[in-house]
Amino acid sequence: MAVGSLMMASVLAVSACSGSSSSASGTSGSGSTQTPATGGTVQVLQAADFSYLDPTRGWDGGVNAFYRLVYRTLVTKAANNAEDPNAMVPDLAESLGKVSDDGLSWTYTLKKGVKFDTGAEITSKDVKFGIERSWDPQIGIGSPYLKQLIDAPDDYQGPYKSGALDTIETPDDSTIVFHLKEAYPEFDAALSMPSGTPFPEGTGEGDEFISDIVASGPYDLEKYTPGSLIELKRNPEWDASTDDVRKAYPDAWKFSIGLEGATIDERLIAGQGTDINAIAGTVQTATIARLQTPQLKARTTKAASTCLTYMGLNTTKKPLTDVKVRQAISYAIDKSAVLNATGGTQFATVASTIIPSTVSGHTDFDLYPSQNNAGDVDKAKQLLTEAGYADGFGMTLDIRPIPAVQRQAEAIQQSLKKVGIDLKLNVIDTSTYYETIGTPSQQHDAAITGWCPDWNSSASTFIPPLFDGRNITEKGNNNLAQLDDDAVNAAIDKAKAMTDIDAANQAWGALDEQIMKLAPIVPLNVENRIYLPGENVAGMITPSGDYDYTIMGLKDPSKG
Amino acid sequence: MTIPTTGLTVPADSGQETAGTTPQLRASVLRTLLRDPVAAACLAYIVLVLMMAAFAPLIVKVSGWDPYEFDQSAIDANMGGIPLGGFSGSHWLGVEPGTGRDIFARIVYGARASMLIAISATVLTTLLGVVFGLLAGYFGGRTDMVISRVMEFLMAFPALIFMIAVLSALPADDRQYLLVVVISVFGWPYLARIVRGQTMSLKQREFVEAAVASGASRSTVVFTEILPNLRSTILVMVTLAVPGYIGTEAGLSFLGVGVVPPTPSWGQMIASSVNWYSVVPLYFVVPGTFLALLVLSFMVLGDRVRSVVDPKGRS
Amino acid sequence: MTRYVVNRLAGMVLVLFLVCLFTYMVFFLLSPDPAVQICGKNCTPERIDQIRANLGLDEPFVTQFLNFLRGLFIGREYEGGINCPAPCLGYSFQTSQVVTDMIVQRLPVTAVVAVGAAVLWLLMGVVGGLISAVQEGKFADRFIAGLTLGGMSVPNYVLALALQYVFVVWLQWLPFPQAVPFADDPVQWFLNFILPWSVLAIGYASSYTRLTRANVIDTLDENFVRTARAKGLRPDLVWRRHALRPALTPIVTIAGMDFAGLLGGALITETVFGINGVGKLAADSITKNDQPVIMAVTLLAAFFVVVGNMVVDLLYSAIDPRVRVGVSA
Repeated sequence: MAVGSLMMASVLAVSACSGSSSSASGTSGSGSTQTPATGGTVQVLQAADFSYLDPTRGWDGGVNAFYRLVYRTLVTKAANNAEDPNAMVPDLAESLGKVSDDGLSWTYTLKKGVKFDTGAEITSKDVKFGIERSWDPQIGIGSPYLKQLIDAPDDYQGPYKSGALDTIETPDDSTIVFHLKEAYPEFDAALSMPSGTPFPEGTGEGDEFISDIVASGPYDLEKYTPGSLIELKRNPEWDASTDDVRKAYPDAWKFSIGLEGATIDERLIAGQGTDINAIAGTVQTATIARLQTPQLKARTTKAASTCLTYMGLNTTKKPLTDVKVRQAISYAIDKSAVLNATGGTQFATVASTIIPSTVSGHTDFDLYPSQNNAGDVDKAKQLLTEAGYADGFGMTLDIRPIPAVQRQAEAIQQSLKKVGIDLKLNVIDTSTYYETIGTPSQQHDAAITGWCPDWNSSASTFIPPLFDGRNITEKGNNNLAQLDDDAVNAAIDKAKAMTDIDAANQAWGALDEQIMKLAPIVPLNVENRIYLPGENVAGMITPSGDYDYTIMGLKDPSKG
Repeated sequence: MTIPTTGLTVPADSGQETAGTTPQLRASVLRTLLRDPVAAACLAYIVLVLMMAAFAPLIVKVSGWDPYEFDQSAIDANMGGIPLGGFSGSHWLGVEPGTGRDIFARIVYGARASMLIAISATVLTTLLGVVFGLLAGYFGGRTDMVISRVMEFLMAFPALIFMIAVLSALPADDRQYLLVVVISVFGWPYLARIVRGQTMSLKQREFVEAAVASGASRSTVVFTEILPNLRSTILVMVTLAVPGYIGTEAGLSFLGVGVVPPTPSWGQMIASSVNWYSVVPLYFVVPGTFLALLVLSFMVLGDRVRSVVDPKGRS
Repeated sequence: MTRYVVNRLAGMVLVLFLVCLFTYMVFFLLSPDPAVQICGKNCTPERIDQIRANLGLDEPFVTQFLNFLRGLFIGREYEGGINCPAPCLGYSFQTSQVVTDMIVQRLPVTAVVAVGAAVLWLLMGVVGGLISAVQEGKFADRFIAGLTLGGMSVPNYVLALALQYVFVVWLQWLPFPQAVPFADDPVQWFLNFILPWSVLAIGYASSYTRLTRANVIDTLDENFVRTARAKGLRPDLVWRRHALRPALTPIVTIAGMDFAGLLGGALITETVFGINGVGKLAADSITKNDQPVIMAVTLLAAFFVVVGNMVVDLLYSAIDPRVRVGVSA
């Protein structure tokens, strides 16, 4: 909306962004990757507030990184500087899950000596309680994986309303067994979601965790002013010897919220006072021209993200029902103009596949090539004529009122005009946008949106939500193209069942190309994350576009 | 930002006696103004903007670019879409970062949006303000009470918040009409208040008494005796209202609830320029200057009109 | 006098009630499904149903509105053990907070902005206007007239950005606006507000200068001033005892109304400078379409304006004997 033009929001993702990639393509400023020293306060500057402090409620890119500082789960993603930053590693559990032969039961053993900030030991009952909260209709609005995968009665409404769940067993204080609805080889990854955070039994009812944190991680909440400030201090009950992932170098963290995007960039460039210890999200497109001096260049970190920006085509609306028409559109769009509208070659890379290069399973191909990605008008016109629309037609594109998205849409509008397609832009307020495009009865012909995988070790959180015909829901639908192709659905099932992750990734890559032949979406680009950390910040390692708070700190804690 | 109060707020007790002027008002005012160089300059600028707005399509044919056309060659794709140059032969006022659209073309079309909305809002506000002000002032009693309460109610409203909320809640088609309506709904009480005050004092004057005594009907009295004497007030108010509405529309566009993109508007251009002002100040300065000059011209003109029409400076 | 006060109070209550009703009506009838919009992005169908039940959105409009009014005076209980004590302005489902708390948290900051700006613009406006009036027609007058026209023509967001660029980025005389609590560092706290104060003040000061000038010139022309001078009274006493009060009283009263308006939050200024006040809360809530908050802020702003209006009217009639109480302005 409205003031969205002032509020910088570069997150187009509908779902959580986490993790790293197997094919690292980032460049890091020489200064910021060194190992941090212990001590000091790291300043984080951001425009948007975190959705919730409660991990069962919150679920978006920014807040997930924050959760890793204060909460721990059974399994978590490896640190960004690990050998395989994508891998799932045990966190509160001693090892990854032991799965039964039929694939329906997963068993974990908890480490000893892990405690909450209250001093109480974290037991398997606390893990079970924390996960049960996902079923509470008021609280469980975050990551849905655990409540979708774990078997539960249809009317179960969480621990506060329906009591304990039998399908999560806790034979003793350090053992926990999960019974699933059906086999799911990547259950470890599902447990790494924030909704897997343990909480002391009986706590967190109603709004208790809106402004309070029961920390299991290295930091605890010191002060919280909603919309303005979050301060974290060390959690003395956290034992570093039980944690292989988090280094917890700084003594404290200070999140300043509600700042304006351009101001954040100015502060980082100026580096006054405590700003040398500051980090922030990706810079504005305008700032890149100012980062060309040697000192600033040395500090700049750039890495491709794991998120794809695309235009979904509603295959149930004429004439988009005809695959030739969709292919024509795919040819016609001038992706380089869209790229420039996004910020140019520094800020994104043109995409021609569904799976971004930073996610495992990616394969390289371009089914609708053109010179310099400027679009092939002749081929498009030819296909349109074959489909019977030589004179073009009209269609409506749904977008949000964010300036970058609007420019992208206008670039597309100009491209399609060349082949005779009259594209009308329908601007929908950000607050109702996802609701509108996620409701098949309200959707228009096309929409620009983005998608990030929940974990990058495979493409299983990328393709099925967007292209499985059985995932089309009346509300909150992510399969914008409303694609329901039997061959595709069957291939999805096959890939999901493969227990060998590498083989599965190969299958996903092949499926990517198979789906793109049907042109249900037009992949536009994959955004880069460009960061300008303060000169005293260390540990900025970003193999897949997101930095990892748990390994970050200051070079010299006495400064700033 | 408050919706136009400057120039339209009057101290509660100010005398509103002198409003009598002759019907030959407009012609002599114009002549006097044209003799004043500053006023003439303002008038010229306003006319220029009006011409720009009216003949926009022709003008852009001359300059070569339409306001929606992207020009990839004018921006540096490797530097975040920054324009490659400032003023140039091809793009007279430079280009927009990120898209390469011609700024001159967008200014010309932006003038359209601004002037159309501001003038429509002024017309509507004047109509409502004069009618209700007259009714309240002349008939008094219950009519006055009802209208005054309504005016008070509308003036108490935090107009800006309400406008943004309403505009963002409704769908974006026909946004221009909605803008005009919304601005007018909150704008007319200020004019009506002054008209009402003036009407009340005019009511006591002898020529009105005479007209009533000679048997004229009430509507005749209102329209043939009182209304002409309000002309100077109305003229002053109009010239001071237009800049206010231009500013309001620009502000709403700045906040993103103004005209729908890709239609250009000066306020919306300033909004987009926010992020770029340190690297491409031109993008910020050009629409900002046009806007400021337009508002300035109207205000200075309004001042001059007032001093010509009402030399004592009492209204 | 008492009758006048009672009348005004009654009028005020009526206006507030109407504002309440109108706002409520517009917000809840305008949007197709308020429950979905209130719920926000991370929504589930169960949560939507819960919101609908909680706010009684299935019930007729009158019942809903009465519930809201009751909450305002007595307090309200929402399902799930959420207690909203009086004055209950609503509950924000998107952020899970009682709206009154959200506003109370941010009101002090907005108040600081409003007070500082008001002091600054009154000083600038009155001094500028006085100088202009006394030096009518001469260079000082014209110069100030030029400045005021400039101040009124530039939109305040343009001014805000320009000032920020000049004083923070280029000259580096002022720090970047940040939220520094007064207790931590009073000097920094003060410096942070200088830009927002200036931006607001410049806009208002321009019109106040013109107003003051006009009023002072008028007053100096009045018969009673002429009489005082004719009687041989010293010029400064002419000022202090006779001219200043009638000249400045209208200014102060209008300032009161403008100040009250600012207490509702200076939306644009707060947003541009990242000040966590009521105005920014309004702007953020509009972005997210958090309707209970939008409505509450609208009501609050209207409340301040209406009350301010009345206080000003009463003060005015007390100070200036020329005004006959009972004649509406």
